[in-house]
Amino acid sequence: MAAALSAVVSAKLGCPPAAALGSWKGSRISSRNLVSMKTMTARRGLVSLRSPRFRVFCAAKAETVGKVMQIVKQQLALGEEAKLAPESQFTELGADSLDTVEIVMALEEEFGITVEEDNAQSITTIQDAADLIDKLVAGGGGKPPAAA
Amino acid sequence: MAFTMRAVKVPPNSASLEEARHRVFDFFRQACRAIPSIMEIYNLDDVVTPSQLRSTIAKEIRKNQGVTNPKVIDMLLFKGMEELGNITEHAKQRHHVIGQYVVGQKGLVQDMEKDQGSSDFLKKFYTSNYS
Repeated sequence: MAAALSAVVSAKLGCPPAAALGSWKGSRISSRNLVSMKTMTARRGLVSLRSPRFRVFCAAKAETVGKVMQIVKQQLALGEEAKLAPESQFTELGADSLDTVEIVMALEEEFGITVEEDNAQSITTIQDAADLIDKLVAGGGGKPPAAA
Repeated sequence: MAFTMRAVKVPPNSASLEEARHRVFDFFRQACRAIPSIMEIYNLDDVVTPSQLRSTIAKEIRKNQGVTNPKVIDMLLFKGMEELGNITEHAKQRHHVIGQYVVGQKGLVQDMEKDQGSSDFLKKFYTSNYS
C-alpha cells in the first residue's frame, strides 16, 4: 500500500521512483515542497522566487522615481535638501504650466522617450511621471523625432 | 523655396485664449525637440547644454506671461515660429545663436522687462543712452 502510494505520487510529480522511495515522512515533505514550487512557477510564469523578483521590481521603480525627483529639483531650482514625496504635485512645488511642460521635455531627453500630448497633460505628480516613463521605456518608445 | 512655402502656411487666429495657450505649449514642445539638431548644426556642444537652451527658451516665453489678447499671442507665436525656422534652416550664423541665446543672459543683450504701464519717456530713460 505504501509502495503503491509512493509510486502514484512520483508518477504524478514526474520524479524518478528511486528518488521518492525514502521514508514516508521525508517523501511527504519533499512532495509538498515540489508541489508548492511547481504551483508558484506555473502561476508567475517565472522560474524565480518571490523575494528577488519583488526586490528587482521595487529597485527599478525607486530608481525611476529618484531620477524624476532629481530632474524636478533641477528644473524648479529647489535645494538638494528639499524633500519630495512621490505624491507631490508640481503646482505645490511652485511650478506653473510652462514649468510642467519643461519638466516633461527634460524627462523626454533624459530617458530617450517621446511623450504624446495627451499623456503629457495627464502628468501632475512625480508618481504619474515615473509610471508613464516606466510604461514608455518598457514599451520601447521611439526616439525623439528629428526636426524637419 | 522652403521660405516661400513656409510663408504661405499661416495658421488661422485662435478663437479663444485657451486655444492660444495650447498653441504656446505646442510651440515650446516643438522648439525643445529641435534643440539637439540645433546644437549639432551650430556646433554648440562646448558652449551650452540642452538643458540651458531649454531654460532660455522658457524664459523668452515667460517674458510675455501677462499677454491675454489671443491676437497678440498669435502674432508672437508667428514670430517665434519664424525665428525657430530661421535657426533650423541655417539662416543664422553661429555667433548670432550664441549671442542671443547663450551669452545674452549674461548682459550682452539688454534684458529690459516689458513694463506695460510706463510711458515712453520713462522707458527711454531706463534704457539710458545706448543706441
